Amino acid sequence: MNRVITISLNGNAYQLEEAGYEALRAYLAQADNRLRDNPDKSEIMSDLEQAIAEKCGRYLGPQKTVVAGSEIERILKDMGPVDPPTDGVAAGASATGAEPGAQPTHKRLYQISEGAMISGVCNGFAAYFNVDVTIVRIIFVVLALATGGLWILAYVVMMFVIPFANTSEERAAAHGLAFNARELIERAKKQYEEFRANHDWRQQRSHWRGEWREQRRAWREQQREWRRHWRHDWNMRTRWAPTETPRPSSYAARVVAGFLVPVFGILSAAMFVAWLIALVSLASTGTVLGWPLPTGIPLWAAFIIVTIAYGAISGPLRAAKYASYGIAGGQSPIWYGFGDALVRLAFIALFIWIAYHYIPTIHALIDGLPHFGHEVAHQATAMVTYFFPTA
Amino acid sequence: MAIDDKFNSIRKGLLEFLILKIIAADKVYVADIIEKLSTTDFTTQEGTLYPLLSKMRREDLLDYEWKESESGPPRKYYKLTAKGKTQLGELNRYWKYINTTVQSLGQSS
Repeated sequence: MNRVITISLNGNAYQLEEAGYEALRAYLAQADNRLRDNPDKSEIMSDLEQAIAEKCGRYLGPQKTVVAGSEIERILKDMGPVDPPTDGVAAGASATGAEPGAQPTHKRLYQISEGAMISGVCNGFAAYFNVDVTIVRIIFVVLALATGGLWILAYVVMMFVIPFANTSEERAAAHGLAFNARELIERAKKQYEEFRANHDWRQQRSHWRGEWREQRRAWREQQREWRRHWRHDWNMRTRWAPTETPRPSSYAARVVAGFLVPVFGILSAAMFVAWLIALVSLASTGTVLGWPLPTGIPLWAAFIIVTIAYGAISGPLRAAKYASYGIAGGQSPIWYGFGDALVRLAFIALFIWIAYHYIPTIHALIDGLPHFGHEVAHQATAMVTYFFPTA
Repeated sequence: MAIDDKFNSIRKGLLEFLILKIIAADKVYVADIIEKLSTTDFTTQEGTLYPLLSKMRREDLLDYEWKESESGPPRKYYKLTAKGKTQLGELNRYWKYINTTVQSLGQSS
């Protein structure tokens, strides 16, 4: 049994087997790419679609409504590779469809998913600047710290914008010569259009909007709490030492608190890692750290439950950490925040590194991260349709 | 075949000339062009032909009109413009000239 995909070729619907669909898509994408500098690109593309549609029509009849994968292969072979005419002297390429491989390769920024940790952005940068990928990763982490997380947003944008190096041509270009900003912008436009054309995008957008609002609300809450906390701390100091120097606590208490700060830091980082691992294992195996889900609970609900549990445990832990920091006598909340983030990231990295190397399940989980992304998107859609069945 | 390969670029270069000839004879649609060429050594495919036709149209050598067909959507039928006809005449003359050159070279006179 084969899955069937309905497509529109120049305004007419055709049903193709999935394999055929993939081949056709690849063919049209290649045509689109080769015609990118052609002023008549859209017209030629619709001519090609029309020709393919007519050839498909020849394979269809009243008893046969689906074009088979092998038939698409034959049609595409019949069409031949799209070969833009060269002005002046003809290039050496034959009319029977040899690749015009002798063109100088232009260096372009690609995502390289082989050996990637997340999506391949760092890998692509490493290839582009010809440096070790570890250096790029360190720079990215430092940037993420220095910009207070904004770089993470930039990374997500890059995941969308930078094309993947899929063919060997593209992989060569990832290490090749110069890089063209105009092409990048056009690629971004095209990918954005594809993203818009995808009929799920409305649902996904409304979902992400809700998520974003939720994040901002949580952040405001957190700030309010911090303010309350510092005010409270200040009040304590003035009450206990109403004269001149604010001496908050005894020396012993400060030592204990100073010792507790990193302990709480490690604990909350460990919690964070456990939460991440639980999410990844949910997405890839449908279990929470080895325990199967009770029947009847959809996967997205399990995501939410795990996240709430994480919040419930890590919230007090974080509060305890801030409190002990206050007692230990920290003065500058900015340095505190920076240092805390650094310690936190270092511990998270360490945990993940150890887990990756010594726990085979987690090794497998981390290798399955790209799959995790798909699963999350899929589950988000499932959740939206659960709450808004008509949407 | 090795002998064939030596003329690859020549065949490719001649394609435009041949298309002008085919279109000059009759109003045609792309499948007709492909069929006419399929029996010759100049076999070509849609992937090559559509971009070439669009280039020739941009150079104002030919134009097309839409015609209804009994089976399916309307089709583009190509015809030569005045400029296309002039160029075809020039190309014909030049082709004859090349031919005589090829024939006469190497012959003891």
